[in-house]
Amino acid sequence: MPTVFNAHHAKKRPSPQTQSPGSSHGSRMGLLTTYAHRPHGVRFETQTDREEVVLFLRQHIVVNVPWIVITAIMAIVPTLVFPFILGSVELPFLIPTGYIIIAALFWYLATLGFALASFLTWYFNIYIVTNQRVVDIDFQYLLYKHFSEAELMKIQDISYTSGGLPSIVFDYGNVFVQTAAEVPNLEFLYVPHPDRVVKTIRELLDTIA
Amino acid sequence: MDQLVSGAVLAVKLFTLLGLGVYVVFAGIIVRQEQLMAQTVAETFHPVLRILTVIHFLAAIGVFITAIILL
Repeated sequence: MPTVFNAHHAKKRPSPQTQSPGSSHGSRMGLLTTYAHRPHGVRFETQTDREEVVLFLRQHIVVNVPWIVITAIMAIVPTLVFPFILGSVELPFLIPTGYIIIAALFWYLATLGFALASFLTWYFNIYIVTNQRVVDIDFQYLLYKHFSEAELMKIQDISYTSGGLPSIVFDYGNVFVQTAAEVPNLEFLYVPHPDRVVKTIRELLDTIA
Repeated sequence: MDQLVSGAVLAVKLFTLLGLGVYVVFAGIIVRQEQLMAQTVAETFHPVLRILTVIHFLAAIGVFITAIILL
């Protein structure tokens, strides 16, 4: 009898991802990479030998705009605002030059520290999807590390939201992973291409099903 | 009166140095935390971040020493 239908159970591979700023597909990571499909050179501390990183995510670069603006303002304040303040306020005593120099140096140092801390907070808040589980690594206030994971087999529901003009323009949103694990929900906030993230996770679920 | 003024100047200097010392400690904590973060997720750009945090720490020490000299 001739074969009428032959269901292929070939391993489904994620769809090729089009290149966009901050994205990489099977290539080396960049300093500002926010979306990487099967990246090279990425490992995390509890990763097993058979585990492969499928998606590497960070929050979209646009979430850094507020602290960048604050840093820029802080950088120009000593040259514009301080002379105006010192010239307009009449004090009963003369501020020593050494204190003015140290104050200016400390201001720039604090500006650098603020920018560095803000960047590190964004840089090390990572979402990872592997062929075995979903991982959420959060560093809060540079002092607290929160490591959450959920096995793919325990994922019950995946959804994403994307609303507002910035989300539409820059294509980012929130992905919600509902699990039956100890951690009931994992949230990937402000990640690029949330539709692709959901699609990739669904394809992995189909693979292991 | 002169003793009161000199005492106030000394107190301001001590508080300034104390504040800068606390910031040096904060900068050192950032260096240490970057090392711990790099152990959690290994990437290729961690040496760059390590250099940035160390530069920030050294700058904090430099400002502290400058304050000791100038104030």
